[in-house]
This record gives sequence, C-alpha cells and structure tokens, in this order.
Amino acid sequence: MRLELRGITKRFGSFTANDQISITVEPGQIHSLLGENGAGKSTLMNVLFGLLHPDEGEILIDGEPTTFTNSGEAVRRGIGMVHQHFMLVPVFSVAENVVLGFEPTKSWNRVDYKKATEDIRRVSREFNLEVDPDAIVENLPIGLQQRVEILKALSHDAELLILDEPTAVLTPQEIDALMAIMRSLADAGKSILFITHKLKEVKAIADVITIIRQGKVVGTAQPSDSEATLASMMVGRNVELTVEKSPYAPGDEVFEVRDLVVRDDRGLIAVNNVSFEVRAGEILALAGVQGNGQTELVEAIAGMRSVESGTITLHGKDITRASPRETLDAGLGHIPEDRQRDGLVMSMSVADNLVLNTPRRAPFASRGTRNIGAINENAFRLVKEFDIRTTSIHSPVSSLSGGNQQKVIVARELSRQLDFLVASQPTRGLDVGSIEYVHRQMVQHRNDGHGALVVSSELDEVFALGDRIAVMFEGRISGIVEPTATREEIGLLMTGMATVSR
Amino acid sequence: MTVTDVDGAHEVITSVQSGRTRVIAVIMIVLGLFTLLTFGLGASSHAHSAMSFAPVNSTNAPWSLGNLTVLTRWTNMVLGLIVLGVGIEVFVRQPRRGVMARFGGVSILFMFALLFWAVRTDGPSQVSTFNLTALLIGSSAATMVLVFGSLSGVMCERAGVVNIAIEGQFIGGAFAGSVVASVTNNYFSFYYAALVGAVVGGLIGLLLAFLALRYLSDQIIVGVVIVTMLGSLSSYLNLQVLTPFPNFNLGNLAPPLPIPLLHKIPILGPVFFNQSGFFYLMIALVALVSFALFKTKYGLHVRAVGEHPQAAATVGINVVRVRYINVVLGGAIAGVGGVAFMASQGQFQVGYTSGLGYIALAAMIFGRWRPSGAVVASIIFGVSVYLSYTLQQFNVPVSLYILQMFPYLITIAVVAGLIGRVRPPAADGIPYRHD
Repeated sequence: MRLELRGITKRFGSFTANDQISITVEPGQIHSLLGENGAGKSTLMNVLFGLLHPDEGEILIDGEPTTFTNSGEAVRRGIGMVHQHFMLVPVFSVAENVVLGFEPTKSWNRVDYKKATEDIRRVSREFNLEVDPDAIVENLPIGLQQRVEILKALSHDAELLILDEPTAVLTPQEIDALMAIMRSLADAGKSILFITHKLKEVKAIADVITIIRQGKVVGTAQPSDSEATLASMMVGRNVELTVEKSPYAPGDEVFEVRDLVVRDDRGLIAVNNVSFEVRAGEILALAGVQGNGQTELVEAIAGMRSVESGTITLHGKDITRASPRETLDAGLGHIPEDRQRDGLVMSMSVADNLVLNTPRRAPFASRGTRNIGAINENAFRLVKEFDIRTTSIHSPVSSLSGGNQQKVIVARELSRQLDFLVASQPTRGLDVGSIEYVHRQMVQHRNDGHGALVVSSELDEVFALGDRIAVMFEGRISGIVEPTATREEIGLLMTGMATVSR
Repeated sequence: MTVTDVDGAHEVITSVQSGRTRVIAVIMIVLGLFTLLTFGLGASSHAHSAMSFAPVNSTNAPWSLGNLTVLTRWTNMVLGLIVLGVGIEVFVRQPRRGVMARFGGVSILFMFALLFWAVRTDGPSQVSTFNLTALLIGSSAATMVLVFGSLSGVMCERAGVVNIAIEGQFIGGAFAGSVVASVTNNYFSFYYAALVGAVVGGLIGLLLAFLALRYLSDQIIVGVVIVTMLGSLSSYLNLQVLTPFPNFNLGNLAPPLPIPLLHKIPILGPVFFNQSGFFYLMIALVALVSFALFKTKYGLHVRAVGEHPQAAATVGINVVRVRYINVVLGGAIAGVGGVAFMASQGQFQVGYTSGLGYIALAAMIFGRWRPSGAVVASIIFGVSVYLSYTLQQFNVPVSLYILQMFPYLITIAVVAGLIGRVRPPAADGIPYRHD
C-alpha cells in the first residue's frame, strides 16, 4: 500500500498538535517517524487510524483520498496498528483477540472458532509468527503479546502496519526478534510506519526517516546519519549523549544495606540476602533484567515495603523499619519507578506536587495551615530552574508530558537537602532531551558530593551514570563491577551465568 | 493500563485466592463444629426428626412417599463430622478446584442438619415434620426473582456497567405489573404484565445508561439514587392510586402451568414442572443469556467492551452502543423479575422487595459473573431467604428478626470477597471516554 499524508493539521483549542504534516510511505518500506514525546507523533497516528479527525489535509491510500470516521474503517482499508499499550483483552484467548470485530460466524450469530483458529494458523505460518491460538493472552510474555497484536493486524489483511513505540516494553532479545519480523514483513510487500524516539533502533531498521518536532516535519534523514545528527534534529539543538562527570572521588560511606531479605506481594522471597554500600560522591548503578527483585529492594529502602530481615542504614541511622515519611525526613530522596502511581498525585497542580514530600514543613505550612505564598514561590523557582514545561504552576500534573512529569519529581527531590538519592528507572519512557536532562541533574547531585543508587534496566544508562555497577539476578547481587566492564560481562551477570565474588 | 500492571494484579489474585481457600475452609470447619455440638449433641438422645415429601397443594399427585424419620442427635453428628471433615480436607490440601462445589455440598448438609434440629420431637410420638417439597417450592419463588436480578447484573456488568439499580427495576416492574395484571384481569393478564414490566425495567436501565454513559456519572451513586427515587415514587403512587382504587392492585397470583406428565414426578415434578410461566421464562433466559454471552459474536463484543473498551473500540466496536443495549436489556430482565415477584407474592406493597435486588447482585458476584453460577448462587440465597421466614414455625429459639438477617450476612460476606469472588470484568464500573 502506498500511503500519503498531505498537509495534515490537527488543533486542540489554541494548541496545534500537527502542523501541515506531509509524509509518504511506499510499499515494502520501513518508514521511521522519529520525534520526542509530545512532538505530535501519537496525534498523527490517531488521525491516520481514524481515532481523530484532521482539521486540514487529506489522507491518500494508493492515490485515492480517504476519510475514516472510526478505527474500524481504517482497519477495513488495510491499516493495522500495534499500540504501545497493547489493545488486547487480557482474559481472552489469542484467537478471540485476533478475530474480535471481524468474527467469522455460523448460524445463530455464533462465532466460528474453528475457522478462526485455522485462519490464525495460516497467517502465523505465512509470516512466521508462531503463537498458540488457544493461549490466554495475559499468560503470554510481553514479546509474544506484541506478536499477537501484529498477527491481529495481519489477519485483518493490513497492508500498512503502524508500530507505536513498539520496543518500549521489550527486552533486548525481544527487540531483535521484532526487528526481524518487521524486516520480513517489509520484504513481503507490507508498508511499515515505525514510530519511536530511540535512535539506535531507527538506525538499525529504517529505510527512510522523517523527523518531527513540535508538530512539524523538520526534515528527513538517512539511517546512515550519525546518532548525534538525528538527536539534534529531533531536539532542535545539540544533545550530549554522554554526560560529563567529574573524576570519581568517593568519600565516607553514607548508605548501607546489610543482609536484606524482602518478600514480594505473593509472599515469596524477592530480595535474598542483599548487601552493598554507597559512598558520598558516588553513584551505584543497579543493573538487571526487570523482575529480579529491584522493585522490592527500592520499595523496602523507601519504607514502602516491610523488611523480613537485615538492616538499612542511612548516615549511621537505622531506617530499616521507617515509614516513608520517616525515610524522607532522614534525608532520603526517592524517584519512584512508577512515577504516576507513586511519585505524583496526577489531579493536583504542579505547585502542590512540588511540595508533596514536605507539605507540613516550614515554610510551606505552619500551625496546620498551608502557606500558599511560599508554595507558589517555590513552584515558580523550580519550574524556572528545572525547565519544567507547563502552561501554569496551577495546571494539573496530568496535563504535562511524561518528561515534564519526571522533571517535577526530580525538581522536588533534588531541591531539598538530601543525604542520599534512590532513583528507580529514572528515564523510562522519556525522550532523548529529557534523558539528558535527568542524567545531568543526577550527576550534578553526585558531583556535589552526595551518594545515589540508580536502578535501571537500560544498560546505556547504567554505563552513563554508574561509578560502580551492581547486577541483580533472582533476588541476589550477582556481582559488583567497575564501569570499565564490558557489556558482555554484565550480560552474563544479568542472566546468572557468572558471579563475581568480592 | 500497561501489561505489567495486569501481571502484578494476577500475582496478587493468586495469593489472595489461597487466602480465600483458607477462609472458606475455616467457615466450613466452624459450620461442622456448630452442627456437631449444637444440632447433634444439643438434641436429646431420644429426639426424633421427620421429613415428609408430599406436595401441599397438589391434589392429583399420583404418588406418595412415606415420611423419613431419623434420630436427631446421631444423624446430625454424622452430618457435622462430614462437614468438619470436608473443611479440614480443604484447609490441609488447599485444592485449586472444586472448593466452591464442596462449599455448596456443605451448605446443603448444614441446611438439613438445621432442619432436623428445628423439627426434632422429644419422645416417641411424632408431632412436627418438615416438608422437603414444600421447602423447595417455597424457595423457588425467591430463587426465581434472584435469578432474574442476577442475570440482569450479568448483562450489565459483562459490558462494564454496574447495575446497582436492580432493586429499583424490581420495584418498577412489580408496581407496573400489578397495575397491568389487575386492569386486564384475564387469562393473558400476566403476559401483558411481563411485557410492561420489561418496558419499565428497560426504561429505568436507559436512565441509568444515559447518566452513566452520556455524563460519565459514578454508576454506583446513580444506581442507588434511582433505587431511592423509585422507592419514594412507588410509595407516592401506592398512596395516591393503589389505596383509593384497590381494583388496580388485585393481587392475583400467576397460575401454575403444569407440564404434562413431568409434573407428576415425585418431588421434582411440583418443584420444576408445576410453576408459573415466569419460572419457565427464567430457565429459558438463563440458557439464552449464557449462549449469547459465550457463544455469539454479540457476546464476544460485550465481553470485550467490559474487559478492555479501548481494544474493542480500535476494531470498530461501538462501545457506548453495546453498553446502552446491554444496560437496557438487563433492566428489562430485572423488570420482568419484579413482575415475577409480584406474581408470586400478591398485592404490591411499598418496600416488599426488601433488598432482593442487592442480594441478586451478591448472587451475581458469588456466581462469578456467569449465568450458570448466578443460578447456583441464587438457589443458596433463595433457600436462605425462605428459611429465614419459615424457621420460626419450628422449634428454633432465635428471634425471627435475627433469622431474617441471615441472607444479608451472607451477602456482606460475598460482596466483601470473603467467599467466592473472582476477578470482575476489568472495566466494570469504569466510565468510558473516547479520545
């Protein structure tokens, strides 16, 4: 299918999300749409998929102008979309999910599951996408769920596949598998529109790259262009992909975890006898595949999860059984993994979220009454200092982009006198510009002589920040290495294939 | 919702489930001990209990079964030990399947022990017996209404809308049904009543759907408000219309429609095959709703809308329309339930559904949002509702009012998730906004 978007414009009130965007996707081509979060990629895709109606411009399929009033029509015209958050019903089987909305029926409106299953097996074979049609979707790993999404689009005879940030939730191995699938689909003549902000992936797979910024197409690029070039086009200025750090000069020990044992929600041991210490002026990066106990470890440190045995010490003070408030008061800053659930109150204003951890303290409150003046003043100062993009300090935090939401948390935690910072997946889902920003702030905090623990499943981040790198596997620390270690060494530690004894 | 959230929820549910198995086991052990000590050892050693089977009102039953007379103490001690044994088995082994089936069996044994104890007679002469057939017929009325109500709940909640207004639809259906049946007052009057009841229930459903889907109001609050409003409205109309014009509220009962031959089967015949048309309609509806929800394209769309409306919308399913249709159909079913209640109870009175609509919701939860499960749960609740009214005629040293709390206590236990709850449809009660 040859898809052409001509002068698409979409406005929300006074805000123009898409401004005269024109793109052409040729058959058999992987066309990458590169842009930061909030650049208007998702709006454009929703226009294309019939979920939003453009104010101006037209969509041409094989040269023929087309309009969609809902996504069902887009699907019938051969457009398939793989959403970032999968549009799959978790309790349904693969077959039920794939046929939903396009069911083959027998008499009495009954769904013909036999035919559905056969169709799925046929499409699976044709495109080499093995999935068991009878499996329940929620029991499948994420990578396979995504495969079901692709299969779903293909069984609706999609000629154009839109993949919206498809790699955000995948492990490195799953990303490789996805890339192979994309290439084979393109070879089979399908057109692919690949939306992302990850430069490495664009370079690895795209045939053509279109870069959009602030709702406008700012140019096209070749996959052979350097990452720095792509990044600067995307962000609109030069971006440092690595952060300058001052020389490593560790001071006294500020934080210690000794023989820590923590259970998960199921009552199973998630953190098994973990010990480490962090010194002043040092960032300890904790690497590992997600789900190996990092989440529980951080929750235990932050006082959000009870500790089975062992101790947590901050500046010689035992905070093992402290509540979240007590740990905050003891001088611990926490950038939580799930920022929308644990870091912010989404419906409250930016100003209120900026004092969320110290609402009762002077100067923000006295004698049980909030001091609105001080709160606003604090908000004005931090919004400026940390470059938080918001229309007003009184806007609800939910109206901010993901990157700016994270800036609110970073600003709140780092603007107060901290002894130690715990940051969990601090740049997950953020664009290049915001990642650079968050990294710079954390390195600045370390350069000022503070300690930090950074938990990340992104190896790039681990190497960019860590003065030492600890690797967690199945609840244990499988090794602590210098940042000069190779990716392969860390990879082995992450899979438990090797252990490093100290 | 990200997929990792779903995984997390799944894990939590697994751990909660094993906790619930224990809770159920403990409940069974307590029931067993109670049966053993109170119903068994609490009866004097020479007390007898008798159970009879002859239908009370069937004049032409071509069969007769003798009474079953047992020694109260020993029978109940055996029953108690069985219940205790099952409870301990579940506690120790924590089986993954069949816990609810065991619980159902234990409930039946407990009910028999309770009845044996209640009708026990000291000394050799028999005075009172309990009539099993009459018990089942009596319970079937309440059960039938609960099935209508819980089917209504299944229809709505499977599409993601909480219908807490079932009680209001009962009231509306019962009121309208009584008026229509009284005004027409002929052979077909209950057919008209059922039709009008369905329309009234459907309109109440439409109101709920309109507020919940158009204005995205909180469904629980809207539902409760509708119930309260209909309660007051029915009081007003009762005072203004039914009291001055008793001809609008004759209180005729729906006549039984015996099914040839089948109604003559001992015990089963009078219970299942000599009922009013509403009973047969209920059975047909259970089959129909089950089939529609789990076998048809329509049902797949409904369940998708109740679980993940965005996913349904992306393949072109009109989420709001599916929800409207289901809430209106569900309301209609509950409206017919109200008529059925009126047709088995007589004259419309203010407040006489006494919270059956909420018990029906509990039955739906207990039945895991499935029509078949809702039937089983409705039987348990229906029997307990009936028993709470009839036990007083026996030798039970407990106040009627305390006994009448019993079905509601079970309801609280179910709704709180202590027993029998599994995952509701994921989008249940969550307003759908399409972006």
